[in-house]
Amino acid sequence: MIQYFIRRILLMIPTFLGSTLLIFVILQLTPGGPLEQTIQRLQMGGMSHGEISGATGDMMTGGSSILPESALKELNRFYGFDKPIWQRYLIWLGVWPREIHHRDLTFEPDETTLNKYVGYGTYLNLERNESGLRITNESGAVPSDWKSRIDKIRDDGTVEAVIFQTEFSGILTGNLGTSYTYAQPVTEVMAPRFKISIFYGLSGLILMYLICIPLGIKKALNHGTPFDFVSSVIVFVGYSIPGWALGGVLLVLFGGGSFWDIFPLGGFRSPMEIWETLSWWQKILDQLHHAILPIIAWTIGSFATMTTLMKNSLLENLSQDYIRTAFAKGLSEKRVVWVHAMRNSLIPIAARIGQNIGVIISGSYFIERVFNIDGFGKMGYQAILDRDYPITLGFLVIVVLIRLIGNILSDLALATVDPRIRFK
Amino acid sequence: MKWPKLFKKHIYDREEISLSIYRKRWQKFKTMKRGYYSFVILITLYIISFFLPFLINNRALVVKYEDQLYFPVIQGFIQGNTFGQDVPGETNYRLLKQTWDETDSPNWLIMPPYPYSPYEDITVEGNKMFDPPNSEHWLGTDNTGRDVFARLCYAFNISISFALLLTVLNYIIGILIGGSMGYFGGKFDLFFQRIIEIWSSMPILYVIIILVSIMKPSFLLLIGIYTIVNWISMTYLMRAEFYREKAKDYVAAALSMGQSDFKVMFKHILPNSLVPVITYFPFAVVMGILALVGLDYLGFGMPPPTPSWGQMLDVGLSNITKWWMVFAPVTAQFLTLLCIVFIGEGVREAFDPKVYSRLR
Repeated sequence: MIQYFIRRILLMIPTFLGSTLLIFVILQLTPGGPLEQTIQRLQMGGMSHGEISGATGDMMTGGSSILPESALKELNRFYGFDKPIWQRYLIWLGVWPREIHHRDLTFEPDETTLNKYVGYGTYLNLERNESGLRITNESGAVPSDWKSRIDKIRDDGTVEAVIFQTEFSGILTGNLGTSYTYAQPVTEVMAPRFKISIFYGLSGLILMYLICIPLGIKKALNHGTPFDFVSSVIVFVGYSIPGWALGGVLLVLFGGGSFWDIFPLGGFRSPMEIWETLSWWQKILDQLHHAILPIIAWTIGSFATMTTLMKNSLLENLSQDYIRTAFAKGLSEKRVVWVHAMRNSLIPIAARIGQNIGVIISGSYFIERVFNIDGFGKMGYQAILDRDYPITLGFLVIVVLIRLIGNILSDLALATVDPRIRFK
Repeated sequence: MKWPKLFKKHIYDREEISLSIYRKRWQKFKTMKRGYYSFVILITLYIISFFLPFLINNRALVVKYEDQLYFPVIQGFIQGNTFGQDVPGETNYRLLKQTWDETDSPNWLIMPPYPYSPYEDITVEGNKMFDPPNSEHWLGTDNTGRDVFARLCYAFNISISFALLLTVLNYIIGILIGGSMGYFGGKFDLFFQRIIEIWSSMPILYVIIILVSIMKPSFLLLIGIYTIVNWISMTYLMRAEFYREKAKDYVAAALSMGQSDFKVMFKHILPNSLVPVITYFPFAVVMGILALVGLDYLGFGMPPPTPSWGQMLDVGLSNITKWWMVFAPVTAQFLTLLCIVFIGEGVREAFDPKVYSRLR
């Protein structure tokens, strides 16, 4: 058993690498990426200042004619587009050295040595020879942390070179990069938003189980009665309206538009100015007040499927022979239903747990947009609009991980509930 | 001449016996009243929705002007001054009808029953922004003065067409790849299994949004993108079916008689593995419609000004006091999906009868 789960966890690695590679390639190969957007923005800026006139908005061709070559090189390097794509991926993973602290150098045609200040009170001596560059520091030793590369030798004999330091940092070392729009490390951008989404997601998940399991049981035990019929109406609503659309309807009804003004229009909690003046129980009330509608929307997501699953599963078990045997042996109905049938009926419910976690996380951008909650999903959605690739990739990495872990959780739950299952 | 009673009964019996399995399933489906009526209603509405330009349009069906007949719905754009109307650009037929009616003109025109188009905006005379539901605009107007009811109806056609086309495409790919995986097995199977594993770990809608945000899609491109991302579920289902059927005796018999792989796959195995495919179909359509509504809501769906429920919801939710902009599309979507869910329930009952497989 333990062996099986260890193998499952190990098998996650190739799947994870495959899906991140796929996403990475899609993002990097598509036009209109951050590089083009920045170039376009810089051009627009230049034009609005009146420095350059008559330029067309054409991205690459216009860009090279307007932006100086050094700036283009700088941008390329900043977004990592100066490397082939497989290297970019490996750098992003953190298994290929990432180049940092670049210093550009130019050797005049007849020049062979240069002295360069690289910060922190350090000067480096550079010597050019046939094989490349030789770096020495002030004491004449070769520094271990600086590397060099000749970028280009121009026609007139001028040599452009660059020196840099390297480090291994990528998602495997916990570095998801720096967001282009927030100018903050991605992990810092994500953490508070992830907490918000987890708060809603978990509340919704727990509430869903708390409602669906008893409701499904009651529907199964009262199969065909008016109660069953009436609750089926709610189930069909759940099938036909996605949670976020229902959230929108609730918002129109109770958000103070044209009907009742009971709940706030959105947001995670009251604005900071008001929030800080509240006492602790007012804070709890305020949080609940903001959370009720979104949590209903979250709960409805898998409500219908789970309720019918519970009901059908219990009904199917109740029609089995072992139940008849139990009744024939004179056990009370309570014992038969709650002990004998129930345990078997919960198996498919337990198997869905991982899937539900995935649904809650991946479905969150709709609800967060409807209720204007600055959560994880909304961040991911906004990142696509802004072409903020580090955040987009970071978001995908987290979602893929959650899904993969969710699958294993499902199996684990299945093994716990059903002792007959032996994974091999 | 009268047939002997016995003989007649005999024929009757023989017919009873020779009913094909699909006929039997159809008969069974017909007994599921809820599903059957939903099916009839939905199909009727969908067929009607192809003739919407004749029912809901701001162009007149027929215009008789100075002894000449015009058919603007079919002919398309006709300039206002053709009919002596002093407006720039296209004729305003509603206004034209009003003027002619008032002046007892010998000219006449017939408007469609609901004389508003899903595309006209506030520049057309008489249209207002965010007009609440009234006798003229049954469901009010939207942020650019377009009639909500007209857009709702056109969006119905687009949503169903989208979902149907999407599902059929997914099925074709799923049957081809999944069938080959199950039938041939081996390295081909392993390779695609890994791919499916990778695809299924990704958030599908998010990947679609990324692709759409880059490509600015049309109707067909959107279907293409969605198919590329969404083909796995069907493939997996078909793989399991083919894998199971392949081991059965009739396949071995067909092969030993020298049938080609292609024939065995599509003539022998496929008809025997259609049950999950058909029972899954209505739910795949539901998912397709939901996906389109979601994408349109996020602004990554059909290019504007295509009428769509998701786009209406977006407008409604950003103008929360305009309740009809939220209720109208949600109700339309709800009723449509409810019908399909009912159909799905009936189909499942007819094709895959279990004692307790009802959806409620």
